[in-house]
Amino acid sequence: MTIAVEDTKRKWDGAAKSIDLLSFADDRRFGGYKRRLFAKMYGKSLMVATGTGNDFKYFPPGLDIDALDISPKMLEKAAPRAEGYPGTLTLREMDVCNLDYPDNTFDTVLTVCTFCSVPKPVVGLSELHRVLKPGGQILMFEHMRSAVAQFGVLLDMMTPLSRKFGPDLNRDTVGNVLKAGFRLRRVENVYLDIMRIIEAVKD
Amino acid sequence: MFFQIGDFLVGMAVGVLTALAVRAVMWPGIDMVIAMLIGMGLGMIIHFVVAFAVGPLLGMFQTMMPASVIGMYGGMFFGMRDSMDAGSASWGAAALVGAIFGAVVVAALKVYDRALHGTVLDAEG
Repeated sequence: MTIAVEDTKRKWDGAAKSIDLLSFADDRRFGGYKRRLFAKMYGKSLMVATGTGNDFKYFPPGLDIDALDISPKMLEKAAPRAEGYPGTLTLREMDVCNLDYPDNTFDTVLTVCTFCSVPKPVVGLSELHRVLKPGGQILMFEHMRSAVAQFGVLLDMMTPLSRKFGPDLNRDTVGNVLKAGFRLRRVENVYLDIMRIIEAVKD
Repeated sequence: MFFQIGDFLVGMAVGVLTALAVRAVMWPGIDMVIAMLIGMGLGMIIHFVVAFAVGPLLGMFQTMMPASVIGMYGGMFFGMRDSMDAGSASWGAAALVGAIFGAVVVAALKVYDRALHGTVLDAEG
């Protein structure tokens, strides 16, 4: 395992203790958007960077879902929530940049505030592209750099600090999705042009 | 409603703290550029502390983005004003101006958010 992967794992193991503190506002301000996005899941599904499983409650019932995280501490917290899912939900410790799945495995891939944190986002997205079946979809609820100069510069300035204990704030996630080979189906602004829903497909 | 009120209260708090902090360290006659830079720095520090303190309760980005505008620009404006001896006559008046500035910025950002909100690309629509 590389030093970068170990560093990432250590960072998110540390964050596992407190990350649910953020769920109060997120659930109330963004819960409806997530529920609407998750309702588009179908078939064999993969959720990346599952965290403590706070978003499991938005899954439609009856799906077969693999939920991954690089952090064992996060997965420990997610386990009780996974047990409550009315379908098949399997937790696995895995790095999104090195997925242990064959090509063309999943119909749907889901990410929630994931690609702000993956050190090599295009590599990770390319892995997701590989494991998606042709015609499969990726559904993303992500924050990213604003195209509005005032906000973009601010997010650039804050990223060196935020990166030490959590995510980057200035990723070009829409651009990274395109670089990984996906075709954009839909982009929706949820808060300014920072919190966004991205839907893309593998042709 | 909780979040709407909370957004405004936090914005006003950042405005008040920035206005008072700038007033505390400025004096008439200080070079305006220096005053604006100091004001901006103070405002950025205040916005950062307040936004991280209440972000978990109100949402990190909904708190951080308005607070950043209030801290950065408010600090510059207040610094410029105080360097010209054109500031508020009392601490209370300075706090009131800070609160009004904060509320106006929060309201403006809510309007801007509504303008940006929604689908921006729909390849199958």
